[in-house]
Amino acid sequence: MTDAVTMTNERNQLFRDLFSGKTPKRVPVSNPATQDFAIQYAGLDLAECQWDLTKLEPVYDKFCQDFFTDTYPGGSIRIPSHYQLLGSTPIVMSSSGFMQHPEVVGLLAEEYDEFIASPYDCIVEKVLPRLFTELNGAPGKVAMSLAKAMRAQSDDLAYLGTIRAKMNAKYGYAGMIGALTEAPFDFMADFLRSFKGISGDVRRYPDKVAAACDAVLPLMIKKGTLPNPSMLGYTFIPLHMAPYLRDKDFATLYWPTFKKLVETMASMGQNVQLFVEQDWMRYLDYLYELPENTIMRFEYGDAKLVKEKLGKKHIISGFYPITLLQTGTKQQCIDKAKELLDILAPGGKYWFQADKSVINFEAKGPVAENMSAVLEYVHENGTY
Amino acid sequence: MIDLKVLTQAVGDLDEKTILTMINDFVATNPSGEDAQKVVFACQQGMAIVGELFETNEYYVGDLIFAGELLSKTIDLLKPVLSGVASQKIGSIVIGTVQGDLHDIGKNIFGSMAEAAGFDVYDLGIDVSPSAFVEKVKEVKPQIIGMSGVLTLAIDSMKNTVKALNEAGLRNSVKIIIGGNPVNEDACKQIGADDFTTNAAEGLKTCQGWVK
Repeated sequence: MTDAVTMTNERNQLFRDLFSGKTPKRVPVSNPATQDFAIQYAGLDLAECQWDLTKLEPVYDKFCQDFFTDTYPGGSIRIPSHYQLLGSTPIVMSSSGFMQHPEVVGLLAEEYDEFIASPYDCIVEKVLPRLFTELNGAPGKVAMSLAKAMRAQSDDLAYLGTIRAKMNAKYGYAGMIGALTEAPFDFMADFLRSFKGISGDVRRYPDKVAAACDAVLPLMIKKGTLPNPSMLGYTFIPLHMAPYLRDKDFATLYWPTFKKLVETMASMGQNVQLFVEQDWMRYLDYLYELPENTIMRFEYGDAKLVKEKLGKKHIISGFYPITLLQTGTKQQCIDKAKELLDILAPGGKYWFQADKSVINFEAKGPVAENMSAVLEYVHENGTY
Repeated sequence: MIDLKVLTQAVGDLDEKTILTMINDFVATNPSGEDAQKVVFACQQGMAIVGELFETNEYYVGDLIFAGELLSKTIDLLKPVLSGVASQKIGSIVIGTVQGDLHDIGKNIFGSMAEAAGFDVYDLGIDVSPSAFVEKVKEVKPQIIGMSGVLTLAIDSMKNTVKALNEAGLRNSVKIIIGGNPVNEDACKQIGADDFTTNAAEGLKTCQGWVK
C-alpha cells in the first residue's frame, strides 16, 4: 500500500469515528481556503482560470503541498461556464472574478398560490425563465441552451473530478462525498422571493410562506440526498435567514420544515453538516433538538456556551476567525487555535474548520503564512 | 387632520395597513407642503422607534428591511404634496459596496435608515471601484463615506479605496465608516477608516454624531 492510500484510510477512519460519535485519534483539520484563493496563491488570474480549467492542476498541487488538510481543499465551487451559458442572474461573476449570489426575485408575491399547488412546475415554468435569461424564449432555443450548459457543466465537473482524484492519490485525503441543499425557508428567500421580498412576506402573508416551505420540502430532501447514504460524507446545508427573523417567525416559519429536512436526512443514514451562518446564539435550544451527531460549523458565537449546550450531542466546528489571519501575528493566530482546541476538543465531537472560507489572497499579506502555521499547529496538537 | 402620534407608532409597529391608509387619507385632503413635512417627520420618529426595537433585539434585520420598504412607499405617496418644499438635510453620505463584492442588503438597510434620519444619501451601488468613490466625493463633497462588504476580500478593497482617497487629497475632508460581516476593530485600523459597524442602527448613530 502506498503512503497516500494509508493516509486516506487513516483519515477516513478519523471521519468515520467523528461522524458516528466516537472520539477520533486526533482532531481532523480542514483547510478553510477555496479554489479562488488557490488560483491567486499560484499567481494566476482568477477569472481566466475559472474559464480555462486546464490551468488548475498545478494550482491545486501547490495548494495541497503548502497547506495541511485532511479533506480535499476544493471547497464549494461555482464554475462560471454553465451559469454564463444559461444567462444566470442569481449566480454571477464580479469584476474581481469571484462568483457571487446577488439579490434576485424568481417568484412574485402573487404567484405564491401557484407555487404552493405545484412547486416543481412553477419553478420550471415561471422561476427558471425569470432567473436565467437563456431559459426564457422559444422552446427550441431553450432546449439548445440547456443542452449546451449541461454539457459544459458535466465536462467541467469531470475535469475538476480528475484533478481531485489525482490530488487524493498523491496527498491521501479522506474520500468524502457531499450533497448540498437548503432549508426550505432559505430556498424561498435566496432564489425565489429575495431577502427583501421574504422579509415583507413574513409580515404580509405568513400562512403562504409556511405553506410554500411545506410544499418545497420534498424537493429540498431530494436535492440533499446522497447517491448512497452509507458513503463517507455528508449533506451540506448552509443556513441563511434565521438570524434575521424574530423569534416567533423563526419558530413558526423557519424551524418546522428545516427540522423535518435534517431529521429525514438522518433517518436515511446520512450525516448532515450545517453551516450555521451569522448569530444563532438565541436558537441553541432548537439546534439541540436535531438528530444526534449533526455537524454544526459555526460562523459566530460563544464557543464555550455552544460546547456546553450542544457539544455532548452534536459535532461542533467552525468559530476560528479567518480575519485574524489577515490582521494578527503568527503567534496570535496560533494562540487562537489553541484557545479553540482547549474549549472544543475535550470529550471529542470536534472538527477544526474556520468560521468562513478564505477566498482572497494578497501577495504581500500575511494570510498564507498564518494559515499554514495554524493548520500545522492543529495537525500536530489536535488531541481530544 | 392626521394624528401624527398614531402614525409614528404605526411606523414603529411596522403596521403597513394603518400607515398606508393614514397616508392615503392625508394626501387626499390636498395638504400643504408644511403639513406634509410634519408627516415625514412623524415617520422619521417612527423609524427611530424601529431602530430602538432593533437594538433591544425585538426586531431583527428582516424587520429593518421591511421598515425601509414601508418608508420608501410612504415617501413615494407623499412626494406630490411635498414638492416645492425645501427639505432640511442634516448631512450627506456617499455609500457603496466595495469593489469585487456584489452584496447590497446591508448597504441598502443602512441607506434607507440614513435617508429616514435626514441624510442626503448617494448610493453608488455594488462592486464600486476606488476611483468611482473618488469621483463621487469630488462631485458631491459629502461629510461621510460608507463602505460596505460581506466577503473578506472587501477588506482589501476598502483599504484600496482609502488609499485612492488619500492620493486624491480627499481623505481628510470626509469621515469614513465601514460596515459588513468581515469588519472589526483591527480591520478598521488597517483600512484607515474612522469607524466600523456590523449593525446599521449603530452605524447611523455614529454618522449622526459626526454631523452634529
